[in-house]
Amino acid sequence: MTKLPLEGLRVADFSWFGAGPIGAQTLATFGAEVVRVESETKIDSLRVVQPFALNEDGTFKSGYNASGYFNNFNAGKLSIQLNLNTEKGQELGYRIIEKSDIFLSNFTPRVLDKWKLRYEQLSAINPRLIAAYAPMQGLDGPHRDFLGFGAVLTPVTGISYMSGFPNRPPIGVGTNYPDYVINPGHTVTAILAALRYRNRTGKGQCVELPQLESVVNGLGTAVADYLANGTIQTRSGNRNPIAAPHAAVRCADDPTSVGSPDRWVAIACYDDAQWSAVCDVLGHGEAARDSRFATFAARKANEDALEALLNQWTATWKAEDLMEALQARGVPAGVVQNAQDLLDRDPHMKARGYYRYLDHPETGRAAYDGPPMVLSETPGVLRTAAPLLGEHTMDVCERIIGLSADEIADLMAEGVLL
Amino acid sequence: MADRALDGLRVIEFTDELGSYCGRLLADLGAEVVKVEPPGGGRERRTPPFYRAVPPGPDTSLAFWVHNTSKKSVVLDLETGEGRAAARALALRGDVVLEDNPVGWMAARGLGFESLRAEKPSLVYTSITGFGQTGPHAGYAYSDIVGQAMGGVMTLAGEPADPPNMIYGNQANVSASIEAAQGTLLAVLYAEATGIGQLVDVSAQEALSMSQETAMQQWDLQKTNRIRQGERGSIPIPLPGAGVYATRDGHLVCFVLAPGGAPFSELVNWMREKGMAADLDDEPYREICDNLNMGFLTQLTREPQKAVTALPALMHINEVVAAFFASLTSNEAYVDGQKRLLLNGIVSTPRDLAENEQLRSRAWFKQLEFDYLNALIEFPGAPYRLSETPVAISRPPRLGEHTHDVLAALAERSVS
Repeated sequence: MTKLPLEGLRVADFSWFGAGPIGAQTLATFGAEVVRVESETKIDSLRVVQPFALNEDGTFKSGYNASGYFNNFNAGKLSIQLNLNTEKGQELGYRIIEKSDIFLSNFTPRVLDKWKLRYEQLSAINPRLIAAYAPMQGLDGPHRDFLGFGAVLTPVTGISYMSGFPNRPPIGVGTNYPDYVINPGHTVTAILAALRYRNRTGKGQCVELPQLESVVNGLGTAVADYLANGTIQTRSGNRNPIAAPHAAVRCADDPTSVGSPDRWVAIACYDDAQWSAVCDVLGHGEAARDSRFATFAARKANEDALEALLNQWTATWKAEDLMEALQARGVPAGVVQNAQDLLDRDPHMKARGYYRYLDHPETGRAAYDGPPMVLSETPGVLRTAAPLLGEHTMDVCERIIGLSADEIADLMAEGVLL
Repeated sequence: MADRALDGLRVIEFTDELGSYCGRLLADLGAEVVKVEPPGGGRERRTPPFYRAVPPGPDTSLAFWVHNTSKKSVVLDLETGEGRAAARALALRGDVVLEDNPVGWMAARGLGFESLRAEKPSLVYTSITGFGQTGPHAGYAYSDIVGQAMGGVMTLAGEPADPPNMIYGNQANVSASIEAAQGTLLAVLYAEATGIGQLVDVSAQEALSMSQETAMQQWDLQKTNRIRQGERGSIPIPLPGAGVYATRDGHLVCFVLAPGGAPFSELVNWMREKGMAADLDDEPYREICDNLNMGFLTQLTREPQKAVTALPALMHINEVVAAFFASLTSNEAYVDGQKRLLLNGIVSTPRDLAENEQLRSRAWFKQLEFDYLNALIEFPGAPYRLSETPVAISRPPRLGEHTHDVLAALAERSVS
């Protein structure tokens, strides 16, 4: 079998919630051995929130191992329980870090200080270490201790102000959006770049990813426009400055779409030919010549009327049929899909095998997000389902830290391996 | 000059708005990124807003600027044999080819993965498209909103009464670019260790899937769909300390009832200090304010009798809280609240971000010198800081700025 790009590397994953663990999962998928350090004394909240697997009678499973939220971010990892509020726990943490290539944490600076996990402390025991920190606001600065999570970051970074319809308050985007791709993806990008540098020079380094900075960097032109021009952009719904129509239009309801029967298709027309094709497909070829809509400038000037008309025309279409008909004419169009679509009904997602199904002792066979980068020679692999809390405490203590069975028993009794 | 993490890595990119942010990430980390552009430039160069001090043109689009820093630009017409030959020679000089064209477009111009790899086995070839290189939708037309729709994030955003909401900032493009940056560097590490290159296939639809948060798992485990719930989320009534509040000059979002921060009573302490607690120290409000958290609310849902009396009180408390926040600026409410460990976030406007004291004190913004505009223009900084190999951002290239130099170097190389 071909080796994976990160085979032979070990990651000390001292992170929790979304932004940290997802990054470490990517490293595991491409070959690294990832040791997730956890503790029942400071449980990762994602282990105890919905969605839970169901019991046979339809009730929710409980405990630390039944959450799909947690499991989807931690496939292929080992889990050790380590109480970092004890001095011995901190010492054992150091012994894992000493034998690791990469350290990853998204704890606040206050917690890093308490658990002695600052870069100066870690590089003293392992100078080749790449230590990556992804705190909310940074390791220093006047707001370094501000509290937050993805849903707090969404307004603070400007996403909320810039997203949604202008007649609504800035309600956000329905999720802890920055946690899932933007922050873990930037973190891993920096870690891989640092690995390349270490391969050439033998030197480790400190990588700092303040989640605030990471998200604002990826926020289009909003801040740059203010800095360069003094312009304050605001939210403009689903519209786009160089395309019209650019909208989600309503199609016929689909009662088989569970709990989510309203169906919509996103359409983007960047030129008159695309608009003309939309008119043809919808059986209103004459509209392409209507002076209110014939040119981009006219469509922009009459965009409310344009969208109202489109919604009238599409109301009886089945969403998938409309998408296919528009795509057949080369118009960018896509169903606003829900999870049922993505997992069960989208033939393309199925054909590409993006979702991976893994067996897990408590949830049973369950779906996991596969890697969204498909490497032809070294495809990533989710080797195992997410670990049970502390599933590998013995293994990590014996094989990596080098403790004897007696020592492990004592540490368990003392509440260190908890 | 300090070492750069990607020193010596040569990237030839054929990207427009979908993949250009990937090239930017690599370029800011030190790779030499040569962007091959069509005559006149691509769509991104024509996208507003433009830098306003001069007439708009391909060299003044901010949309282009923010995704193309630190690169070189070469104009080649790939519809001519000469242009294709030069592009091919250039691509073969690279360690990485990065492209975001429709499936088959590069191959039709002699620039496909198989054909380049036959000549250069170590080449890393990253293709970013809407739907990936394989599968029944591989040929589908793509734009950012289509990616957000098909990838499952739009259905989660917005008010139930409105159409689903797109997330601002071409987030499908940005997500695909970030996934591609990771995939490219993984392949680079592998190629540098083994001499074996490969194809990195990134689909924007897949790149967004993880951003469905729990919707995917909820369908998988429970066979129910998550839907967009708008301002109120899953809670049908306005609750004090939860949700969006209008301030004197904008908005604040509160999560005081969520675990992790100071309790609701701390918010009342603050209001009392400001003389804005009104009658919250009187019963029945006082008892509720002292105990208000998610557990208290869960209890209410189990005791309908108690809920009947508590609901009007909760609504009154919320009105008092709303009046308090309306008396503060957004920034006061955010900073003073956070200093009391109250979980809240300012709804930052672009100006709030430009003036954000955390970003300013960390010197995050970068002054870029635009010599051709005779201007220093401030820019958002990098997503990360690397202690040994700092990120360095230089201004984006003018269209074709490096055509002559790059082609001359190529010719010299082929002669020698």
